[in-house]
Amino acid sequence: MKNSKILILITALVFIFLIGPFIMIFLTSFSSDSIMRFPPKGFTLAWYTKALNIEMFRTTFWVSLKTGLAATATALILGVPVAYANIRFNYRGKNALELLFSSPAIVPGMVIGFSLLRFFVYVSNIPIGIGLYLGHTAILFPYTVRVVSSSLRNFEGDIEQAAISLGSTPLHAFFAVVLPNIQSGLVAAFILAFITSFNNVPVSLFLTGPGVATLPIQMLSYMEYYYDPTISALSSIIIVLTVIVVQSAEKLLGISKYV
Amino acid sequence: MAFIELNGIDAGYEKGKPILKNFNLSVEQGELVSLLGPSGCGKTTTLRTIAGFIMAEQGAVTIGGKDYTNVPPNKRNIGLVFQNYALFPHLTVFDNVAYGLRRRKVEKPEIAKRVAEVLKLVSLKGFESRFPAQLSGGQRQRVALARSIVIQPELLLLDEPLSNLDAKLRDEMRAELSRLQHQLGITMIYVTHDQIEAMSLSSRIIVMNEGLIEQTGTPEQIYESPATPFVARFVGFDNHVDGTLLELGPKGVLVDVHGVQFVSRRPSPNLSKADEGKKVSLFFRPDDTLIGAVPGANAMEVGIDFSNYQGNTTQYAMHLGTHALRAVVVGKPVADGVERTVFSIPPEKLIVERGV
Amino acid sequence: MRLKSQQKSLVMLLGAGSLFLLAFFLVPLLFVLSESFVGDDGVVTAARYMAVLVDEQFQNVYVRTLKMALVVTVIAVFAGYPTAYLMMKLKPSRKAMLMSLVILPLMTSPVARTYAWIVILGRYGIVNQTLSVLGMTKEPIRMLYTEGAIIIGLLQLFLPIMVLNLVSALENVPNEVEEAALSLGSNKVGTFFRVIVPLSFDGLIMGVTLVFTGCITAYVTPAILGGAKVLTLATLMRQQALVLMNWEAATVIAVVMILTTLVLHTVMRRFRPRNQV
Repeated sequence: MKNSKILILITALVFIFLIGPFIMIFLTSFSSDSIMRFPPKGFTLAWYTKALNIEMFRTTFWVSLKTGLAATATALILGVPVAYANIRFNYRGKNALELLFSSPAIVPGMVIGFSLLRFFVYVSNIPIGIGLYLGHTAILFPYTVRVVSSSLRNFEGDIEQAAISLGSTPLHAFFAVVLPNIQSGLVAAFILAFITSFNNVPVSLFLTGPGVATLPIQMLSYMEYYYDPTISALSSIIIVLTVIVVQSAEKLLGISKYV
Repeated sequence: MAFIELNGIDAGYEKGKPILKNFNLSVEQGELVSLLGPSGCGKTTTLRTIAGFIMAEQGAVTIGGKDYTNVPPNKRNIGLVFQNYALFPHLTVFDNVAYGLRRRKVEKPEIAKRVAEVLKLVSLKGFESRFPAQLSGGQRQRVALARSIVIQPELLLLDEPLSNLDAKLRDEMRAELSRLQHQLGITMIYVTHDQIEAMSLSSRIIVMNEGLIEQTGTPEQIYESPATPFVARFVGFDNHVDGTLLELGPKGVLVDVHGVQFVSRRPSPNLSKADEGKKVSLFFRPDDTLIGAVPGANAMEVGIDFSNYQGNTTQYAMHLGTHALRAVVVGKPVADGVERTVFSIPPEKLIVERGV
Repeated sequence: MRLKSQQKSLVMLLGAGSLFLLAFFLVPLLFVLSESFVGDDGVVTAARYMAVLVDEQFQNVYVRTLKMALVVTVIAVFAGYPTAYLMMKLKPSRKAMLMSLVILPLMTSPVARTYAWIVILGRYGIVNQTLSVLGMTKEPIRMLYTEGAIIIGLLQLFLPIMVLNLVSALENVPNEVEEAALSLGSNKVGTFFRVIVPLSFDGLIMGVTLVFTGCITAYVTPAILGGAKVLTLATLMRQQALVLMNWEAATVIAVVMILTTLVLHTVMRRFRPRNQV
């Protein structure tokens, strides 16, 4: 293996580049310096206390959580039947519909957010919070369809037919036999979609306003005015939570094959 | 009227492109009938039409005198065994087998009793709480079988049920299926592409090709007297030579092949006096061929392309004009370096069909 | 199944999803697009487009966005291929561990992830402090709010996407193929370029497409690391829409974004092998 040393070096650099920044955030989040300086000085948990006590972060966290859960649930309820239809049936216009179902993932998020904002302003006075939920559902939809489709593809249609030949109606077979066997795909879809929604900026950017903001949007605007380790502390919390969720999902469900 | 009747069925996976066209089939109660044919011949389509997963565009399906043409598959009470077992991966063996009974709202104690009985029948007592992933291929197939017979179906359909098993297990399961069929007296339709399986299991074989029935008969009729060139090839009459029909007599037929006269005692029933002077095809099995025999009746000189010694038999690849021929003969090869030899074929081993 | 009943189930399965996307995605999108072709007097016109497209600032931003996307894509290919290749050679357990590290930047909040680079590249960040300790600089170098900072930030997001695509493509290249090439006298480097790359070409094209289009539409990274000083298409669009309240210009930029993405998808698809979808 002559060239494996170069390979290892490049790979090591890549991983330092990918992961190093997260470690930097941790280090600065405990620094007693009020401007961000390296190496960090002292040790304090004050920034964590501050981050958790800022009212706007708390309210926007709940907005993000609620929006994420509602949009993910809606996208799954809409997406599972679509995934099922696309795996099990051939029909006229399938290609066109599949394009429609995947296009919210192709059209830039900013454009989706922007057009929803314009549309809502123009046609009706849909409350901005509802607009946020609808926009998020639209961008999560292709995700849920894709992840659920790929786990349905591994589930043999014969098993369903066996249930039907034993007396199940197609609907009963779907709930009694299909759903229990694509459980891990459903959970993976839920986690991926929720994280996507929780982290989203481009769509939320246009569908937030006075009174309604998501956590990432609130963090962005905080950063415009303040330059202290509060954001480091908040980011550390978010990163740790994400790592826990993603790692356990990867262990249990192999989530990386769906990303 | 037979127990199962398919009359004038047009059916397929896509509307307007039927795989079965004007298809007719009848099966008697208690029979085990095999649908035999290569993949794409329509045998699985036939099975799915009977099961109700494919709805016929034309024609009628009758089972036990009742019209089933428009009855959905979940209302048919037909057992179905799949090639890949199609067990429910999230349910235990017990729950897999109990599935159909629960759908039929059978009382709990009755379910327990019937599941126990059927598991004993397929020798899987004690496996109740295992999951399909914890079973071997043979055991899975037994569960699939148990699951489909516990509902006491009017009819059991089996779609290549043994093709995922290795050779030894396949023999065992074949014997077991045979035993179950005799014990339960259940009507079975068995789809396979394996002629040995069809021969050893069924009382009647239906050979299918391109959506049509080529021949129906007992295993012996199919094997010994194939009625069409397709069936002949399918059951191992691999050698094919063209000739001209000289005479169709009561004792046999006389055929001219490249100036040599061949006698056959097995003319196809499709041939008549009117075919005299027309082209015909001769079929025979490689292992019915004799090599190096004295020139005489049904003998002809051919070129040897190569011979391959395989222990107790020798395989020859030969040619006659443009026809490639194969022979499997007991014993060592004829002397090395011989390029031409005489082959002959007994008149009772030679089939004559209309020209192909 | 009977065709009638199949149609019925299709309507039930696809109806809700289709209606939702029509009402809350397609119609708003088409509404905004159509609006951009109508002038204040209600007549169909391309004037709004002309106004933006001839604007020098827009042209600069557009060229800069494409340039940065190109740089990020090239680096991602050259850093991603060796990484993906090495990961394929590792034991499954090690590979799985690295895999979960690769997806980490994709899963974490883009704000948190990008914020890290402020800490690193800032006036008193690790880079400037190291340089000054080593005596290489007297004054801190301004690294934030430059094209370089944006490129670095984008790379951290899109390198994983490239690696994931390459890994899944390389997974489909059987080990024996490489061994066969080596046994036929090809050397390691030659094998890599003549056998491995062509066989994983589809993943490469997928990766390049996703990275390039992703860079063009990315918002958070240029917003934090470029600010108002170094605008990209995305941050310019936000500025026009939300700061200057110039809806028409924002719409035109949105259309430019979509068209650029579509053109890239179409062009890149031509490079993909026929047997792939």
